[in-house]
Amino acid sequence: MKPLTIIVTLFLLFVSTVLLGQESQNEILKNFTSGQYNVYKLNSKKKFEKIKKAWPIEFTKNGSNVSKVLVKRAGILDELFEADIPGYPAYFAFKNFRLSFIEDYAVYYEWNGKQQAKTKYVLVKPGGSFNEGFESINKDVATYAIATFKNQTGARANVKEAKAELAEAERKVNSLEGKSVSKIEIQLVSKPSIVAHFSEAIKYGVVATLKDGSILKTPNLGGKIPWDDFILSHEGASNTIDEVRVDENAANIPNDMIKLKITSKYHSSLKASKSINTTNNLSIQVNQNGFWGWERHKYMTVFQGVDGQHAGRADNLVVKVKTVSHKQTGVKINKIQIYNTTDDKLVAQYKLLPSTELIINAKGGQGDKGKKGRKSENKGGNGGNGGAGGKVTIIKDPSVSKCNITINNHGGRGGNGGAPYYSTGIKGNSGVSGDNGKISNQVKTVTLNF
Amino acid sequence: MKKQTVFTAILSAFLMIGISNTANAQFGKKLKAASGAIKLGKKAKKTSNKSSSKKSKGGGSFSSFNSETDEMAISGEYFGLKDTRAFGFKFVKESEGKIVNELHYWEKKAEEPQLKLQLKESYFTKHQVKLFFKWMSASASGYVEIIEIAPGVFAQIKSDRTINNYDTPSPLDASRTVIDVMAKNKSDFDTWDIETAQAKVDMILTTLKSANSDKIKKKLMRFDVYKNYKGKIAFAKGTNYLRNQKSNQPTEKESNFVTKRELGATLAFKPYFEQPLAASHPGSWFNITYEMLGEKTDREVLRKSSTKFSKNIPQIDKDQEKFYFWYPKVTVNTSNNIADYAFLELLRKTQDKLQAGNTYDLKVTVWAFKDGENIDPVATGTVQLEYTAGENGTKKLLFDPIKGWITVLEDYLDE
Repeated sequence: MKPLTIIVTLFLLFVSTVLLGQESQNEILKNFTSGQYNVYKLNSKKKFEKIKKAWPIEFTKNGSNVSKVLVKRAGILDELFEADIPGYPAYFAFKNFRLSFIEDYAVYYEWNGKQQAKTKYVLVKPGGSFNEGFESINKDVATYAIATFKNQTGARANVKEAKAELAEAERKVNSLEGKSVSKIEIQLVSKPSIVAHFSEAIKYGVVATLKDGSILKTPNLGGKIPWDDFILSHEGASNTIDEVRVDENAANIPNDMIKLKITSKYHSSLKASKSINTTNNLSIQVNQNGFWGWERHKYMTVFQGVDGQHAGRADNLVVKVKTVSHKQTGVKINKIQIYNTTDDKLVAQYKLLPSTELIINAKGGQGDKGKKGRKSENKGGNGGNGGAGGKVTIIKDPSVSKCNITINNHGGRGGNGGAPYYSTGIKGNSGVSGDNGKISNQVKTVTLNF
Repeated sequence: MKKQTVFTAILSAFLMIGISNTANAQFGKKLKAASGAIKLGKKAKKTSNKSSSKKSKGGGSFSSFNSETDEMAISGEYFGLKDTRAFGFKFVKESEGKIVNELHYWEKKAEEPQLKLQLKESYFTKHQVKLFFKWMSASASGYVEIIEIAPGVFAQIKSDRTINNYDTPSPLDASRTVIDVMAKNKSDFDTWDIETAQAKVDMILTTLKSANSDKIKKKLMRFDVYKNYKGKIAFAKGTNYLRNQKSNQPTEKESNFVTKRELGATLAFKPYFEQPLAASHPGSWFNITYEMLGEKTDREVLRKSSTKFSKNIPQIDKDQEKFYFWYPKVTVNTSNNIADYAFLELLRKTQDKLQAGNTYDLKVTVWAFKDGENIDPVATGTVQLEYTAGENGTKKLLFDPIKGWITVLEDYLDE
């Protein structure tokens, strides 16, 4: 008999758990009515103790569903809990607190991202009973909530659908889709003073004039036309909504101007463009320095002793310069190409005014400082050697009469020696500074295809 | 040597006790005892022992205080809920020709009050909240605060913060626990027990926090970065371009933001919110989705898909009270080999479509996430990722046989 009883009990427990998980709050609340609820509060010993005063609870129904639960805390403070998913609620929420009704009572709890409940109060309906521990009530309510979330698929889909419908309705009101549009124009939010590699973003919007004379604008100009209404095909700048930035590679700006281009998605004949000449007057700094001793492990396998790591030498560079005329304004500008011959990699291609400074850093890295010496040794760790500066070759085309290029290619400093283990010992040797790099200038015909 | 050490220790102990006595002798024992956080000093201890033996007889009568009137209608004799002895409050607006707005506290008859608490004036002038405070010492236990929760009823608060400034109360985001209730009429204790008082204090704090949030937003709007990017995500070549030292002072420069970046290179991003998540979506936390080339990856979905993703994609449950992420996020960071696995998964899924020389739009969305669902986007941004050509370009960053981002992820998933 005993095993049979256990099996039956377990079966009934399983069935009741499954059923509990399947019921939404609307189903459970059929057994609850507004009234005075006895309150059990969690005390500091994590045990529930009954509060003297009962709290009034009022339900607001929407048809057969309960949409809101008003808890009058201590009878004087109103806390309005709202259903998480109308139609199939798993809980009612008020700020960070949740209220779920299970069995004879409502559990008032906090919920965290790990799907765990922390009960604060238990509100027992008139005539109901409650006799649970803190851990078990937390587990019960979490099990119920998680199971109910799984069953909310349909209700959640309805909510999503309703939201999507609202969003679509709003989009249609503001979109150019289905509207008679006479023209679209690009309008700059503010006129940029510098249009160059790395200059600040150029902010723009779109203005559409409808055939009835009314004007619609994109959000950044104070309107509501969705950006999705337009196909962007900007040139010489990033192809992004709201704001664009001048391309870092001069090869992508062949005509020395950036061109903002948009086409209406719903009226393919409606196009707008705006050209902005580059000013090429923003100073640029390019870093091709050697790595520092402390980061040597990122580049190769290192032996971690007490000695500081040696730094890396800077890469060798070839800088080619040629003066040409700005294709829009006719002013003289320098085309500059920086090529890393160590890595065999193109570093940058810029167009700058002859007076605009370009700083190229090819400095050797700084040696790592020596570590504290070992107990068994009388001396601290030696500092790592500094890296050598890079060799920089500047090749100027005969067309170049002026260019403002600063090269920093000195060797890196050696790291300081480490302290000995005992103060009576001696400090480690400092690392040797790296050799300064060489700069050579050549003048010969340069071909730059950008 | 040993004797000297022992002597120094004893001397230090005496000094500490001495300091403690000095501090404790400065304020009322009823408030102090109720806070339960500060140890009684020698002198106060004696008095306390005496008074505890007389506890049933009460702490004396202050009924004469009831005849006093003040514009705050506070002055009078009060009783505690836990410590039932009587004590007196007097609100003093002006002293020696100066506006002081102090609440004086007496627990024994004397010319001078045992404690003077300061009114937080702006809370009263803007929200009619009567909050009085006093920092007895720099530690959290040395803080005394009372808030009026109903006419003639005060809640005594214990806070968890140490001092920032003697002239300002514990900040609004500090945890405040009601430890006693004080009322002119003992019958008010039927309504105002500790729990109810705590609920009322929470409600008052919500009002103050909401107003504070508006104030912070107003200040943030002075910063072009916040003004131009609220509801959007800013991208940069490293987290250093997006960080700032002081809270609610986004001093990062827009000129350092990027709209185009080499695919596979370090890309940091920072979302700016219209409202803190705790205000716009209470009870939610953050989620991030990445979209590129028709594929989409979702951190929370991935977290639930396997233990490997679960381990490497932590939940973003910080910064709900902030107008932007305090620490910027990264898609990938080549300098310290950190990446968002959801972004790596996007790269893995799109790898066959990626071609050298092409540029792709990456859309990043930060969501309010609750109960397994993305509820609403709270910030979005798009950045262009360029597949750079050459041996050391994107191909190396993504497909290097040892270190490539996609290689690393595939190796990890194949383990």
